[in-house]
Amino acid sequence: MALDPIFSDAVIFASLLTLLSIGLTLTYITTRVPNFAHASLATIGMYVALVATHIWGTAPYAAIPVAFCISGLVALALYVMILRPLIRRGATQAIQMIATLAFDIVLIAALNIAADYIVRATQVSAREFTLRSYDLEVAGLPMVLVAAPAAIAILAVSLHLVLSRTRFGIAMRASTENADLAESVGINVKRVYAVSWLLGGGFAGVAGSLIALWFEGDPNFGPVLIPSVFAASIVGGFMSIHGAIAGGILVGLAEVLGTRFLAGEIGPWLIAYRPLIPLALIVATLFLAPRGLAGIRWRRNGGGR
Amino acid sequence: MAAGAELVFLVDLLAIFAVYVIVNLSLNLEFGYTGIPNFGKVLAVAAGAFVAASVPGRIFAGMAGIEGDYITENVLVVSQVNAWLVDNAGIGIGVFLLTLAVAAGAGALLGIASSYPVARLRGDYLAITLLAFGEGIRIIGNNYEPLVGGTLGVQVPDPLAFLPGEARFAAASLLLAAGAIAVYVYSERLVRSPLGRMLRAIRDDETAAGALGKDPRGARVRIIMISAAIAAIGGALYAFYVGSTIAFAYDRASWTFWPFLMILIGGLANNKGVLVGTFAFVLIRKLITFYKESFEGIVPFDVIWLDFLLLGAVLLAILLYRPQGIMVEKPTHTVRLGEKRTPLQRLLDIFR
Repeated sequence: MALDPIFSDAVIFASLLTLLSIGLTLTYITTRVPNFAHASLATIGMYVALVATHIWGTAPYAAIPVAFCISGLVALALYVMILRPLIRRGATQAIQMIATLAFDIVLIAALNIAADYIVRATQVSAREFTLRSYDLEVAGLPMVLVAAPAAIAILAVSLHLVLSRTRFGIAMRASTENADLAESVGINVKRVYAVSWLLGGGFAGVAGSLIALWFEGDPNFGPVLIPSVFAASIVGGFMSIHGAIAGGILVGLAEVLGTRFLAGEIGPWLIAYRPLIPLALIVATLFLAPRGLAGIRWRRNGGGR
Repeated sequence: MAAGAELVFLVDLLAIFAVYVIVNLSLNLEFGYTGIPNFGKVLAVAAGAFVAASVPGRIFAGMAGIEGDYITENVLVVSQVNAWLVDNAGIGIGVFLLTLAVAAGAGALLGIASSYPVARLRGDYLAITLLAFGEGIRIIGNNYEPLVGGTLGVQVPDPLAFLPGEARFAAASLLLAAGAIAVYVYSERLVRSPLGRMLRAIRDDETAAGALGKDPRGARVRIIMISAAIAAIGGALYAFYVGSTIAFAYDRASWTFWPFLMILIGGLANNKGVLVGTFAFVLIRKLITFYKESFEGIVPFDVIWLDFLLLGAVLLAILLYRPQGIMVEKPTHTVRLGEKRTPLQRLLDIFR
């Protein structure tokens, strides 16, 4: 089956942005700190996938649960050891953002050290590596093309069920809407927030271990990707999981297909400006519809805020 | 030659220190004194460097009648310009000062552009928007070749070309240090002026400042313009010092994150703290690069990552255990009304 690779790129990239954006939103609704280290949590997942395939010799998909746990625990550490003490001391939002940036720098340094170590210890290429050749095939297509959208569907549905049907989900919605009131009815808000960070980080890890099967992995992948993840979350309104899904799909497709379309219409020199697309979407959303897709009233008769 | 690696090290240390002092003082005005989280500090710095890389070279080439395209034959054109500048030192210095003024103007214009979100957004949304602005300039510089040569970069003409080799670098460092002192004095005077007190009032309680008849929005716009102009001068001076500009060097780590780190280590809203924090940072980084070879073999990875690990961890420790930084913000030093101060005392007051 001949398929233009641009469509695979678009589907996989949009799926991964969606996963990352769901995770970022999940942490943002608890502490209201945009986590600058979020994309580097995905880089951790990429390295878990690299170690799983190259060194342990397992199927790449075996890395998913491991990546979920490691990235989730790293995110949990960021929340419990750094953000919670800062919040307790009444640090401003800007200081908390800088703390996540500092944490990102530490993560990137650790990932680079790990990459250097992998190269020296095993002679395996651990920079600008790709695991495409390790992917399985489904009906003549690379499996990640199916697995990435499937991962989102599964996670989105189960997250929806957890949030709407379980006691924990209700406690979580209560804690993010009004933490004081939730605490007064006996909900352990801190534990709920900690679980949110664990899940948010875990989703990023899953995204990373899937990204590695299609796109190039590198220790410095996080800072390159983070504007797109922020764009996806902001376009989605930053406060809603459904918005994050819509934002991830929109920004992912806009970046890949939008660039291709404009390059065809105007000229191939435009391709290099692709990183401007998420930046422009961030700025446009914040000025025109600060509550994002989730804040727009779609039915015309209900319009007018 | 007596002047060994140590002297080169010190000259370079002074220059980088001076550039970062200029940039960090401007960030301290915004973030420390006014509370604007400028996560796009790199925007103004890059603008200054881009002006230095694109304007003076073309002026000189035009004056000297040098043929050739400024971007595609850049190395050739700039080396001819530098040869011409050896005999035209006066014009060189004149155009250099003019470039600084243009850079400051470009910075101030971008400051006005940034003031649009600054007046409308708060907190994290403002920080992310400014970050997007700062990322944008690098992407454009990296791809739009007529500006600064795209991914190949361009050479920056050297107004100090008339000085012989080593003296040129020493003179450039001293010039940068003089610039840093000027910015320090200016910014100390600014924060002690009525505008400076108002900035802190706005930072601490905007509603109260507004109720007392102050104009928070106007003050923010003014301060972001002033800071952007200062940072652009810093960027232009840096471009002249290193003698070349390449867009991807103006990334958010070098010119946004490191400045935040330095002012937070030194102490927010304390310009002396900025000096301390900047010096500590620049010294640590220079020492690690200087003694890089000695680490080889001891650790199984590139030492530059040790540097990142250390700096990130230091910043986290400062935020958690000493959020006020090394030097604490102090009330403004004031002088009793009618008290006579000699000029020397007044000069020293600036450094109190």
